[in-house]
Parts: sequence; structure tokens; C-alpha cells
Amino acid sequence: MAGAEVTTTINSQWLDFAPLIILLPMVAFAVILFLGRVFNGNPFWKNTLKEGGLIALPVMGASLVLSLLLISEFLEGFNPLKVFDPEVVDKIAWVNTAVWNGGSTVTPVSLGFGIYVDHVTVMLLFVAAFLCLLINTFSIGYMNTDPINDNRNHRFYAEFVLFCSGMLGMVLADSFLWLFIFWEIMGLCSYLLIGFYYERPSAASAAKKAFMTTRIGDVFLMIGLVMLWDLFGSLDYAVVFNDANIEAVAEQSAGTLQWALGLMFIGAVGKSAQFPLHVWLPDAMEGPTPVSALIHAATMVNAGLYLVARMFPFFGAEALHGDLEDLAFIIAAVGGITAVMAAAIAFVQMDLKKVLAYSTMSQLAYIFTGLGCAMYLANTLDWHHDKDAHYIVVVAFGAALFHLFNHAMAKGMLFMASGSVIHEVHHAHHHLHHDDHGDDHHDDHFDAQSMENMGGLASKMPITATAMLVGSASIMGLPLIGGFWSKEGIIANAWRVAQDDPRFFLPATCVLLGAAMTGFYMSRMWLKTFAGKPNNEVAAHVGPTNTWIKTPLFILTFVTLSSVIFAGMGFTHWASDSSYAFLSEKNLLEGIVYEMEHAFANSDAFFFILTYVAIFLGAVVGPGLAMALYGGKLADGEEAKPWMRPVIQLSSWVNKRFHFDNSAFAESSLATALEHRLYIDEYYDKAMVNIVAGFSNKAAEADSEVIDGTIKAIESGSQTLSSIVRSMTTGSARDYILMVAVGTLAIFMLVWGVA
Amino acid sequence: MIDPALVSALSALMFVIGLGGAFTRKNAIIVLMCIELMLNAANMQFAAAAVHHGDTTGWVYTLFAIAIAASEVAIGLAIFLAVYGQHETISLDDVDVLKN
Repeated sequence: MAGAEVTTTINSQWLDFAPLIILLPMVAFAVILFLGRVFNGNPFWKNTLKEGGLIALPVMGASLVLSLLLISEFLEGFNPLKVFDPEVVDKIAWVNTAVWNGGSTVTPVSLGFGIYVDHVTVMLLFVAAFLCLLINTFSIGYMNTDPINDNRNHRFYAEFVLFCSGMLGMVLADSFLWLFIFWEIMGLCSYLLIGFYYERPSAASAAKKAFMTTRIGDVFLMIGLVMLWDLFGSLDYAVVFNDANIEAVAEQSAGTLQWALGLMFIGAVGKSAQFPLHVWLPDAMEGPTPVSALIHAATMVNAGLYLVARMFPFFGAEALHGDLEDLAFIIAAVGGITAVMAAAIAFVQMDLKKVLAYSTMSQLAYIFTGLGCAMYLANTLDWHHDKDAHYIVVVAFGAALFHLFNHAMAKGMLFMASGSVIHEVHHAHHHLHHDDHGDDHHDDHFDAQSMENMGGLASKMPITATAMLVGSASIMGLPLIGGFWSKEGIIANAWRVAQDDPRFFLPATCVLLGAAMTGFYMSRMWLKTFAGKPNNEVAAHVGPTNTWIKTPLFILTFVTLSSVIFAGMGFTHWASDSSYAFLSEKNLLEGIVYEMEHAFANSDAFFFILTYVAIFLGAVVGPGLAMALYGGKLADGEEAKPWMRPVIQLSSWVNKRFHFDNSAFAESSLATALEHRLYIDEYYDKAMVNIVAGFSNKAAEADSEVIDGTIKAIESGSQTLSSIVRSMTTGSARDYILMVAVGTLAIFMLVWGVA
Repeated sequence: MIDPALVSALSALMFVIGLGGAFTRKNAIIVLMCIELMLNAANMQFAAAAVHHGDTTGWVYTLFAIAIAASEVAIGLAIFLAVYGQHETISLDDVDVLKN
């Protein structure tokens, strides 16, 4: 970071309370689990405490408040007079040991836990704590109103708060070791939460798949960490990000460092569901919807991005100038490929949540591309001394972080809105087909998540439809809404890098193409769910949703819409570098005007054209195609809210005017391949079967031949021996007396003879 | 005063009689009695040695051995009762459950 040479730190009052942000949910985990066991079925526990939901809620609230206090203090520290550099509190000692370096040198090692706060931490801390609280609120409305969850919601809330604890801990940890520990806590919780309905085989196998797939990445992450330890002798950020240490390592083994970081990146790929370790994420939709929201928006998938963003000091170090550009390219390329692939698969998904899952993969890929490009710039430009280069690097890094923020908010909202839709469709179905509220309604084959069973819901669920509309617009990057600000930044930076290094044309083209694809699949999802006539009688009977569900949707709609204010406050600057103040030098209005001017009237002709191409693709081509295919008026007598009416009218007009037949495409082999997720899952299954089964057969052979063989030889040998000995036991007491006598005599003779 | 050597010889005779009886008889009670005879032979040997060396330690051993022999008989008879309960005989030829 540029401010690293400034060593002034301010005394922080709230930093001492930071461990509570992690500990409170962790304690709540034990409390909810214990109380849930004891009071399961108790009416007070069930109705008043919502089976633990109302214990989790204030705890997450307290975590958020403490986080906000810490963040506000940190942001004040952006005042150039008192620079708040990465601050490390006293470590809570955990393991004190020493490492033998060969010969007689010994390095003392302390693996304590500490808190580390910098820009990336602050940004993610807010995202995680804020969304965890909102998702908790949503869960109370979603989980506690479904009879299938009765008497086991305490398990959900306990795992939920542990998950939040893991995420918050990962963000606040001051070393890669503790990052890894909390990372694994999250992995465990995601396994438990995805498999919440463990009695369903699909949920059980999805949980297993998520666990195993991320585990592959985690093994690489662990190897990377071991290599990093080998290079630096520590995993503490304070040590590994130290300029002098990086310089020492760079002289000797810059190549090894690149490998270590590359292996750690594979861990991030697994956690953030990027190609080729993306297969777990769509299946993870088997979990309850709040879990999907939690995993996709607030926590797990952002963990991988956080890990990569954490590596930034290596890429930005002067000593490693130009050494890590290949890795930066790989990060960007993985992002670019995933962005297009996931968006293409999202085209044909019928399951509402799976569309969102693929959309998540695609948007995370954007962030990876953004990070890769920012890291390339940081690694190749002389940004420590050149002020213009510094600006470029900071804005590139900030754009990726800003997209993370926007995506988390929008996607959290989209998942919760989709949960609200599924919840109500489910209830409508239930109402129509089962008069008695029996518990076995999951046995029938009605799929409440399929968009086939929706359509025309805009008038019935106005708040959900609005939230979905705003969220989709944010993901698509419609001008002025949410993700627009960050997405444009990522696309622009990808092309900026592509001008320097032709390899980057791949990710740059991918993200530009992805913009159009995002426009299409998000519009398709919204139109199929909310516009047109109800697809069947269930969709016609959907009612509005409850307050617990509406509240977070309401809040997030405003957060997403106010993204322009964040942009105006110079989010992309201060979120990535300490030399920029919270409100920048400008006031808010000037900031917004500056960002507008920068976005829509860029003085550079190339970026000016690029912006409008991206807007045209994302806001006109994509949604236009979707409208032509799926748009339509609402049923007679149904009225959407005034702000949604134009969208629906436009869609029905486009649908009438430009409707075309896409059955040729829908029946093509490409569409079939997309429906089969490009056969990647099948391919993995096959490969796994061949490799694992082959290995297992060999292992079984070794087991039966070598291990069992040895044991059998021992067994048969001792049997032979014992049958000889056995013949000596006659069972007659006299024989035994004889033996005793003869034996005694023999001993006596022996002793006598020797003595 | 009897010559300790004679006592020792009697003791050896008693031991051999006891050993022979223990080998050959099949009634468990007789075998027990034979064992007691061998034990007594040992006691006599102790007494003879005590007289020969003019040391009272041998007498003390004898007293202990008599006490032990008494309790041993009690245990032995109890075992025979139990064996009889199981097998309805205490003939050593018929009680050979340990065979092979």
C-alpha cells in the first residue's frame, strides 16, 4: 500500500472490542444449540424466541454495531493528518513454539490471534456483518413459517451464526493461518447448511459435493501457505507484507513466491466457485434459501475474493515489479472464462435459484477479472512514484472491490427475493392442493423453484418484484444503478490492460461479452417470474409475503439504489488506498458529478466508446432479446406498481414487435450442452470414477494380498504351533502332577549341576 | 534324641510315598492326601534341619507350613465339591475337560 511508509497509528478505542465481533456469534452458536436441544418443542421457545432466531438476531446486530464503530473509527483515520495504517492489536497467544532452522538456529514462533484492519477488511467487514443481520431477519420470516422446519430451526440458527462468526473472523484475522482456520469453519458450516434437509438424497449429495470440491482448492491453499511460511518464516500479515521482507524474498525466490500465491489462488477458485472448481455452487441451491443468500452474497464466495485481494501487497510491492504478471493474467483469465461460461449456462436454467447461482459465478468472475487486472497494473506500473499510475492502480483495485460490494448487496437481495417468491409459490400450491396443512408436502413433485410455475407475479408481490427489478438492474449494470459503477470500471480496466499486454484481450473480450449475456439472463429471469400471465393456477394464487421477509428487501433496495452515492464519495479510491480520504477532497455532489462525467463523457476517445458499447450491450441488447422472447402483459385486472408498469409495457411491446422463434436454438446441441452444464459435472464424475475406482481397486488388492496376507500367515502359523502344544494337554490331573514333578526335578538338577 | 539323619530319611520315604500315590491313584481325595503327605515330608525335613543346625528358624517354617496346609486342604475339598457338582464324580480319569 502506498501509505506503508507512514507509521503513525491512532489509538483505537473500538479495536479492543473487535474480537467480540467474532466471539459473540461463536458463543451464540453454543447457546442456541444447547437451548434448542433442551427446549425443543417448547411453545415459548418456538413462538416467542423463534427457535433461536431471536437469539441470533441481537447477536448479529451487536456484531454489526461493533463493526460499524470500528469502521467509522477507521474511516476517520483517513484524515491525512492521522493516517491509520494496518493496526495490529496485542495477540491472544495460542501456540508459542520454536522452529528449528537446521544447525543451531531456532526461530521463536507465536501463532496468536490478532486483529488486522485495513481497507479491504473494512469493506468486507461491513458487507458480511450487514448482510448477516439482514439474512437473519429474512430467515425468521422464511424458516419459521414452513412446517417442514419445525423443531429443527435451532440447528439452522446455530450453524448460521457459526458461519457468520467464521466469515467475520476470516476478515478480521491478522494472519493467513487464522484466515485459513476461519475459512475452514465456513467450509464446515456450508456443508452442514447445504445439507440442512439431510433426509433428501439430493441435499446430502450436494453438501458432500460442495465440501469435497472446495476441499480440493483448500489443499492447494494449504500447500501455498506452507510455501509462504517457508519463504517468510511467518504467515502474519505484518511480516509477509513488510516491504523489507518482501524485498529479501524477491531477491532469492520470486518464482517460488509466484507459485505459492498461485496455489493459494486455487483455494480461492474453489471457494468462490470459479472454473474449473465451480461445480458445487449450483447444487448448493439444495439448501434453504437463506443459506443460498448467505453463501452466495455475504460470505463464502466472497472469501475467495478476499483472499486474492489480500495478496495485493505482493503484487504492489516495488521489489516484485514485473515478477507476478503471469499470475495476474491467470487470475484475470480464470475470471473471464468463468464469466462467459456461467452466463451461458444461466441462459437455459429453469430453476429460479440456479439462474442466480450461475449469475453469482459470472459476477464473481468479473471481480476476479477486475482484481487480476488491478494486480497486473500494480505489478507492472511504477505506481509508487508516478502519481497518474498510482491513480490508475487504485481505481482498478477499487473498482473490483466496489463490484464485490455491489454484487453482495444486490445478490443478497435477489436471493432473498427469490426466496420470498419460492416461499409464496409453495404456500399457494399448498393452499390449492392440500387443504390440510400436512407435513408431507415435500413428497409431491411440485417444484416451487421452477419458473414454469411462476409468471405475472409483479402485481401480487410488489415489494419482492421491485427488489428483484432493482437487484437485476444492478447486476446487469443498467446506468446509474448499483453495479453499473463498478462493472464499467472493471470492463474499462480490462481493456486498459489489454492495450499493454495482448494476452489480456481474452478476459477483456469475455467481460464485455458477459455484459450482454448478463443483461439477457437477468432480464429473462425477471420477465419469466414477474411479467406476462401466470403460467398456471398456482402462480395465479400467490399472495404477498410477511414483514420479516419484506424488511431486508426494502433496506437492500435502497442500499443498491444509493450505490451512486458511494461512487460519489469516491468509494473506488478510499476502499483501496489510505492516501484517499473517506469523502475524497470533493464534497458529495461534486463527487457524483465527477463520477458521472468520468463515466459518460470520458475524455479518452477509446474509453468513451467502450463505455457506450458496454451500456448498449448490457442495457439494450441483452434485455431486448429477453423481452422479445419472454416479455408480456400482466393478466387482465392485474396492475403492477407505477414504477414497474413501464418495464412490463415495454417488454410486451418488444415481445409483440420483435418476437422471433428461438426453437431452433433451443433444440440445438449447444442448448442441450448448456442444460447439461457443458457436461463438466459428467466429465468430473467419469474422471473421478476412473481415477478413484482404479486407485481403490489397487488399494483393495494391496489390502487383501499384503496386509491380510501377513495377518493370515501369523494366524495359520500360530494355529499349527498350538495344535502341537495342544497334544500335550491330556486333561488328566496325574499327567500334570507328573509334569510338575519332572519339571521341578529338572530345575533342581539344573541348579545343582550348575552350582 | 533321634538322629536328624534318620528323620531326614523318613521324610524322604514319606515324600516318595506321597509322590507315588499322587501319580497313581485316581480318587481325588486320595491324591489330596498324598499331596498332604509330601507337604508333611517337607515339614519333617525342616524339623530335621533345625535340629541339625541348632537353629529355630526351621521350626517356625514348620508352623507356617502346617497352617498353610490346613487352609489348602479346605480349598482343595471345596474344589472337589464344586467338581462333583459339575461332573458327578471326582475320579481324575473322568475329569479331563482340559484335554486338547
